[in-house]
Amino acid sequence: MLSLRKRKPTLRGRGLPMPKRTDIKKILLIGSGPIVIGQACEFDYSGAQACKVLAEDGYEVVLVNSNPATIMTDPRMAKRTYVEPLTPASVERIIQIERPDALLPTLGGQTGLNLGVELAQTGVLERYGVELIGCDCATIERGEDRKLFAEAMAEIGLECARSGFAYSVEDAERLAGEIGFPAILRPSFTLGGAGSGVAHDFDELRAIVSQGLALSPVTEVLVEESVLGWKEIEIEAMRDCKGNGIIVCSIENLDPMGVHTGDSITVAPAMTLTQPEYQRICAASLAILEKIGVSTGGSNVQFAVNPKDGRLIVIEMNPRVSRSSALASKATGFPIAKIAAKLAVGYTLDEIPNDVTGTTTACFEPSIDYVVVKIPRFAFEKFKGTETVLTTRMKAVGEVMAIGRSFEEALSKGLRSLETGRGGLGADGKDEFDEERFAELVALPTEQQIFYVAEALRRGWTVDALYEASAIDPWFLNRMLAIIKTQEGLKGRALATLTGEELQAAKRMGLSDMQLAWLTDAPDEATVRARRKELGVTPVFKSVDTCAGEFASTTSYYYKTYEAADEVRKPTKPRAMILGAGPNRIGQGIEFDYCCVHASYSLAEQGFETVMVNCNPETVSTDYDTSDRLYFEPLTFEDVMDVVEAEQPEGVLVTLGGQTPLKLAQPLLAAGVPIMGTQPEAIDLAEDRERFAALLDEMGVAYPPAGTAASNEEALEVAARLGFPLLVRPSYVLGGRGMVIAYDKPSLKEFIQEAARVSPDHPVYLDHFLESAIEVDVDALADGEQVYIGGILEHIEEAGIHSGDSSCCTPPFSLSLAIIDDIRDITTRLALAVGVRGLVNIQFAVKDTQVYVIEVNPRASRTVPFTSKATGVPLAKCAARLMAGEKLSALGLPPDDRELAHFCVKEAVMPFGRFPGADIILGPEMKSTGEVMGIGATYPTAYAKAALSIDYSLPTTGTVFISVCDKDKRTILSVANNLAHLGFTIISTSGTARTLKAAGIPVTEVRKVGEQHPNIGDEIAEGRVQLMINTPFGRETRSDGFTLRTAAVRHGICYATTLAGANAITRAIEVAQRDAKGSGELAPIALQDLEQWEIL
Amino acid sequence: MTDVGCGYATLVLEDGTCFTGRSCGADGEVVGELCFNTSMIAYTEVISNPAYAGSILVMTYPQMGNHGVVRADLERDNVELEALVLSSICDTPSSFRMDLSLREFLAEKNVVALEGIDTRELVRHICMEGSMPAIISTLDHDAKSLLAKMRDTLESIEDTPVARVSTEATWTYDAAKCLVTPTAWTAPFPEPCCSIVAIDNGLTRSVLRHLAYAGCATTVVPWDATVEEIWACEPDGVFVSGGPGDPQKAQDTVDALGGLLGELPILGLGSGQLLLALAAGGVVDKMQVGHNGDNIPVMDLVTHQVSITAQNHRHTVRFETLGSLIAEESGGIAAHPLEGDLRFWAQEGCAPVVRNERFGRIQLTHVNVNDGTAEGLRFLDIPALSLQYHPALMPGAQSPDAAYAAFIQLMEAHAEEVDALSEKAKAHAEGTGAAHA
Repeated sequence: MLSLRKRKPTLRGRGLPMPKRTDIKKILLIGSGPIVIGQACEFDYSGAQACKVLAEDGYEVVLVNSNPATIMTDPRMAKRTYVEPLTPASVERIIQIERPDALLPTLGGQTGLNLGVELAQTGVLERYGVELIGCDCATIERGEDRKLFAEAMAEIGLECARSGFAYSVEDAERLAGEIGFPAILRPSFTLGGAGSGVAHDFDELRAIVSQGLALSPVTEVLVEESVLGWKEIEIEAMRDCKGNGIIVCSIENLDPMGVHTGDSITVAPAMTLTQPEYQRICAASLAILEKIGVSTGGSNVQFAVNPKDGRLIVIEMNPRVSRSSALASKATGFPIAKIAAKLAVGYTLDEIPNDVTGTTTACFEPSIDYVVVKIPRFAFEKFKGTETVLTTRMKAVGEVMAIGRSFEEALSKGLRSLETGRGGLGADGKDEFDEERFAELVALPTEQQIFYVAEALRRGWTVDALYEASAIDPWFLNRMLAIIKTQEGLKGRALATLTGEELQAAKRMGLSDMQLAWLTDAPDEATVRARRKELGVTPVFKSVDTCAGEFASTTSYYYKTYEAADEVRKPTKPRAMILGAGPNRIGQGIEFDYCCVHASYSLAEQGFETVMVNCNPETVSTDYDTSDRLYFEPLTFEDVMDVVEAEQPEGVLVTLGGQTPLKLAQPLLAAGVPIMGTQPEAIDLAEDRERFAALLDEMGVAYPPAGTAASNEEALEVAARLGFPLLVRPSYVLGGRGMVIAYDKPSLKEFIQEAARVSPDHPVYLDHFLESAIEVDVDALADGEQVYIGGILEHIEEAGIHSGDSSCCTPPFSLSLAIIDDIRDITTRLALAVGVRGLVNIQFAVKDTQVYVIEVNPRASRTVPFTSKATGVPLAKCAARLMAGEKLSALGLPPDDRELAHFCVKEAVMPFGRFPGADIILGPEMKSTGEVMGIGATYPTAYAKAALSIDYSLPTTGTVFISVCDKDKRTILSVANNLAHLGFTIISTSGTARTLKAAGIPVTEVRKVGEQHPNIGDEIAEGRVQLMINTPFGRETRSDGFTLRTAAVRHGICYATTLAGANAITRAIEVAQRDAKGSGELAPIALQDLEQWEIL
Repeated sequence: MTDVGCGYATLVLEDGTCFTGRSCGADGEVVGELCFNTSMIAYTEVISNPAYAGSILVMTYPQMGNHGVVRADLERDNVELEALVLSSICDTPSSFRMDLSLREFLAEKNVVALEGIDTRELVRHICMEGSMPAIISTLDHDAKSLLAKMRDTLESIEDTPVARVSTEATWTYDAAKCLVTPTAWTAPFPEPCCSIVAIDNGLTRSVLRHLAYAGCATTVVPWDATVEEIWACEPDGVFVSGGPGDPQKAQDTVDALGGLLGELPILGLGSGQLLLALAAGGVVDKMQVGHNGDNIPVMDLVTHQVSITAQNHRHTVRFETLGSLIAEESGGIAAHPLEGDLRFWAQEGCAPVVRNERFGRIQLTHVNVNDGTAEGLRFLDIPALSLQYHPALMPGAQSPDAAYAAFIQLMEAHAEEVDALSEKAKAHAEGTGAAHA
């Protein structure tokens, strides 16, 4: 007899003791700090997930991250949020205040991990009874120490690349004898890998090593077995405290070994492995996690596979979430960071539900039924003089991900997602090849290689020949050949003659309407679109569901493809569609993602179903639980229109994602799509210089005299009228691309030519440059009737430096109330006159007492997250509400002229260290990748914190090297005087030394670079300089200043290249000295302790 | 429409749903049970697995054939499935190991195959409606006529796919002489420590290799081998493999197992577990779609560890039909969970034990984490155990899987027991002999 019990098991358990740890209540989470190359907003994504999931589990989260642009530092994400320097001292202070039970360092990239380890090793954690969770120090050491790692691998029967350090040619010969040829030779610590090479025999070895030893400052050359040209495979694996291990995703690099995986085009899942090879790699990955000691989290393991015999080499492993794990999460729908956070607090994989399906658990391996391609985004055009060949050192500033039902489709979608103006894999009329170096560039890994390879296929190169040249696996080359064949089959045909089947086949290869228009010589992509629809060639959307359709899924995460059946869920509420910012690049990054995510949260609260469209896998906006519906699609007109037609939204938000969606506003409106908020007409008014100037004239607002020029002659005429210096800017560019200041005719002529190259067919703008003016940024909200000043940001550097690179302070620290009133008044009038509904950013220059308008951007600006955190008013959320039609008066905001009790400084982070050869001067073209924020009771305190967040330490004693250009000689005196009083020894080269001596400031003269040794170069190289003040002379490139600034970056010396910057650093040093003596000025401040405003 | 050789193939499901795509295999017309597999890489192993005999198999991963076909990776030389349905087939594969392309392989093996349809939609349809019979043809493209032909075929043929895939004659497996994956990746085979009989209901090469790695010298016998025939091989233990179709149709194997259980140590893998369960009087149900992939999580109720496993079957045993619970060995619980969802036991943290009328105590050792079905059984009073999955890792890649190791242990213990018994019998005989004298 069978007696039955009615007890339904649920995945979350019912009253049974869960293994979630109850002995810890408060967890300190470390973020990854400012966005830098190699460590971008993927750690905001992982950190934000961790904050959310830990809070859901009832833990009190204390967060520290110096990056104000992150979503994780939103005061609502954690119980206590510290936007403070990520230094051991600063975090110790936070631990002292908060007394957390545990520290979770594995979600903040390498920065977080290093900091966690340092706090553990120096005994800070023990002193305050804080447990390190998610990893342990021994694990990290085994994972990172090359020798320990190689030993561990040998113990589990796995190979690492054989290598060793040579200190003489004989050493190298011995090593090469053991390792075999070819051997990779890398001199240590040479700039840009100078002196590296591949030796195929002993003669080559001797030649390269003897040169390399001479070049290396430590006379050391790494001799390593060559795995160049091997397949590069990555595995994302997770392991829990019960020893359950799973493989989340395999990733295969299209670019073979030799190119950093962050700079490679990568594909998920692995495409060219047979099952035994794959299983071997999976087994090895899990064995590595176990051996290294990962017991509660995720790891990334990288392998090299010899394509000729399958030999497997372990390259490295990262015992933390990474860029690749963010990619794998987006690629599979398996949220690695979220799961890692849960594992860290004691759950096991089988106890965590899979919230994509809602019916299964996290203890499984996702099966996907599509192909994912990731393509890196570069910014070499910003760093003149740097090497553009891709190497093992990452240079990409962002990336895109594309999903298709085939590699062909995904690759094509990915290439148009990059927003480099390309319609796909060539066939868009934009191909330009260096014919002389064609064969070389087919073989050379560069940003353009993929187009060279495609063109080679077009020109009839065989796959074998291409494989020989590039070492790209023939599988990828053959897939590209399939795309090229489809393109060539259509080329020259008339659109009207193409059948539905032919168009469908082209679409399945991922060809865009833009490419089809070019191939068939159709007038534009709209014609192609219309014809396609006539023939019924329309896309469908399919779900990313972790299980290849095996289980029903509850998450609306879609990608577009050309197949039979559509899976878009029926909407239940009105839809608001938000266009994201696309790939991170210099000038458009995480700040805009912050705005999009906030808009999504805000509109969801207002009863909309939110629809996010974006193609950047690093972001929070492309997390499937940020918006109600996520479309992982390129931000081109075609792709966005397809989503619009699938969703039929009430309106589209185009002013939050930077230039990317803004460019689509007009075409979308023309296609009859309702735009929410500021209308394209208003955007045009602000962008059109002539109409805008007319408006300013009418309103009686001052602006710097300006003119446009289409030729060199016209430019000289304008120059004659306005006088030098002139700010030269090409039109329709982002982040001040190509912008320079011309001080004389010859440089003007040179710049005009450059501008014509950057933005051909467009006139060049020439503004009279207001020298030594103070620049001011204003972020404001407007609803058509009222204007709310969100924040007034006073720049620290003088005008002429791109606002994205300039440090700034709010509230203003030196502007008079009268000037502030002027700025408020002009902002209000302009926002209303332009017709802003949502956010607007206005840039002013203040010279003497006159306020000039530089430009108006009727969209969210880069400073919105900073301003929101500084003032406690969530500007992006407010903007979304205004765009949806609400009025400012309904939001219940605090008075915008209230006095703030603290100062906030934003400082930019420069990537110069990644671009050896590029000059380190600030100018009107933006070069920074990220930013930090400092909060303090006074401006110098806030500045000191921001400086600490960037350099991790402030020199409080030692030697300062001062060398300034002639125009700064007079004003440097007070800075030098202060530094002398603070106890610094001043050294200068002859010119500046003479000025200082004359003023009675003690100074020691040093010889210039290039003069007889010892000179200033030696002083820097030998670590005898702690601070450097060097302002550039005009537009110099290969000068002494250049050499010195490059040396400062290389040796990690704190430096200032503007007088205002020098001033600020000096004040900050003063604060740091006092704080060291116990003044407590640099004590951490939690955002929750500042005024925070919730909108009604 | 009847265009023979037009390069098209048409698939019609029992419910009338129709898909047309390109033919990418042999010409022909076949009927089979429509099912799918979610493996992204292991198509060679899946396609050549005899468990798919009688099936029309849909691969969910959209690009198939990327590394061609490596003969050493085939689970069988013959392809037993009826037809293959793909999203797209790769004609330019890349792998240093490859012997031929997937398309060439399908042609060589005379497999009807179809590509170029929305396979995701087809899979979603199967998951919603359950797996069902279907017909696929490159000769006839008329849905009505195909449907009629399908019904005729289903009515006229009483199919026992196990009989088709099983060996006809007894043979001995010699690991050293078989195609294997590159030896550099695997350990050498150990010296055999025991000899076993493997009942071939659809044995695969990888299972035979696993057994060899575990130390078994294997004699393979047909699915309908009798108890006497198996005893005649003088085995230390018996292995019963998984196979295609409804295990209830393999009655001969079930009968033989009924006679061997308790007499010899037995290991059942894949649907071999179902055959053991049937021999013990259990009830086997058909699932909606079954388990089809190499990513299926299974929890060991004793160690609480989860393994990711490869599975390909559509039936499951209802644990509660094996007997009533023994509360004192089941965490004090005397009643089976109502919905039959065995994840209940994972939550309770115990591996429950039932009393089987024929074979004594049977313990539930493994459950499926996705759907709560039984994945492993252990007979506590006789030497037998079973798992309804295959360890996903390749044979020889690491130490033998726990299941094979446990099988070896059972055989060793049994041999000791038998020795002890015969010693005792001998001693007894000697004793009685002495007394007699």
